[in-house]
Amino acid sequence: MRCYDVERLWDEMRDGVEPRSEHVLAHLRGCVECQEIYRENAGIAYCLTCLPPVEPPGRLVPKILEHIKATVKIVAPDSVATVESPIGKLFVGFRHTGITAIALDRGEGEESVLARLQRRLGRGLIPSQAPQWVRDTVEAFFRTHRPDLERVDISELTPFEQSALRAAATIPPGEVRSYGWVAEAIGQPTAARAVGRAMARNPVPLLYPCHRVVDATGALHQYAYGVELKARILALEGYHPVRR
Amino acid sequence: MSALAAPIFGDRYRVTAPATVNHPVPGPETFESIVDDYQRRLYGFALRMTGNREDAEEIVQDAFVRAYRALAKMDPQQRAELRLQPWLYTITLNVTRNRLRSKRPTNVALDALADPDALLNETQDGPDQPEQIVDRAADMILVEQALLQLPMHLRAAATLRFIEGRSHPEIAEILNQPIGTVKSHVHRAVRILRRILGPQVGRIVQNDRPITEEEE
Repeated sequence: MRCYDVERLWDEMRDGVEPRSEHVLAHLRGCVECQEIYRENAGIAYCLTCLPPVEPPGRLVPKILEHIKATVKIVAPDSVATVESPIGKLFVGFRHTGITAIALDRGEGEESVLARLQRRLGRGLIPSQAPQWVRDTVEAFFRTHRPDLERVDISELTPFEQSALRAAATIPPGEVRSYGWVAEAIGQPTAARAVGRAMARNPVPLLYPCHRVVDATGALHQYAYGVELKARILALEGYHPVRR
Repeated sequence: MSALAAPIFGDRYRVTAPATVNHPVPGPETFESIVDDYQRRLYGFALRMTGNREDAEEIVQDAFVRAYRALAKMDPQQRAELRLQPWLYTITLNVTRNRLRSKRPTNVALDALADPDALLNETQDGPDQPEQIVDRAADMILVEQALLQLPMHLRAAATLRFIEGRSHPEIAEILNQPIGTVKSHVHRAVRILRRILGPQVGRIVQNDRPITEEEE
């Protein structure tokens, strides 16, 4: 074994598990220079371990926690429960202020749906049972198509998204309006594309009826769960697109 | 060395063992205890990396904010599988790196490093003589200064290896490097430190304690 290898193996030798240690030791016995390097290295390591332990400044923990509070909006996790519906099992996120999210399984499995919901909400989800008011709200949508929006919480969305969704909620069941119409309704006639984005990001589909917003030609355009489902939901509400 | 852009949700930090009572699943709800458990270690690491108490404090604060944000976005499975310690170190290292990069290396507050109180309060071998205390404090400053002269990646390797006493695989995980690279960085760090500290090493060791068999 050469000096070069022996020097490189010094740190491994400290752990006492180096398989080549026999050879290293044999070399060291005969090589004064390597002995010197090992001694100096041990000295370096010793000096570093001698550095006095670092004491964090007092009150660092509360300071950190205050800093987090100041920079991060601390939000409690939502609950999530499944509710059966005419279009399949719905995953409903909710907190005491109202329903915050609705998702369908796109065939990806429950875990992925929950992960997707969590990413959209940006906070944790705790699986639980659906309370009566949650089941009532969802059921009311499928029965009357006019759910109680007091029980839906969209306060975490941007002001623009909120107003676009509120405008969409004024579209009567059985009818549709265009993205441009919604843009007009909220006083921003040039914002049709932004309305499209807001509809696409709607965390509470069905309850806030983004499915009633279609493009200017009356084509259903897009839906998070596919245009087919959009048509099916509209059909449930009594809307049948004109064949053209 | 490549810039370390650790993906927060990467597979690197996944654990296979389930969370236990002693190590509950990390999350925003348990964050206070996480801060409590790790602030000392991370502050120490940041201080060794920067040589500046104010920087270290801000780095630790930023690192915990980042960790909190990331945890809040993780789903339960990601949290359960997270290897908290290396993950927190990696975040701290990234914050440190960004900070040092944006800051011109000026004269660091070396005198703030070796805590005079801690030095004076050392009682393990009975009270030291005043001149020994001064000698030792001066020696420690020499060592700290030498460490700060290392390039950052070598400094990180040396700090984790010698000051924190971590194994090569642990360091590899924190630094997101192959074990071979870690070993080579440790080796190069020691080489440079040997060159900087040179004969003073022998003196420091000798002043400090008699040579034991361990070293022979």
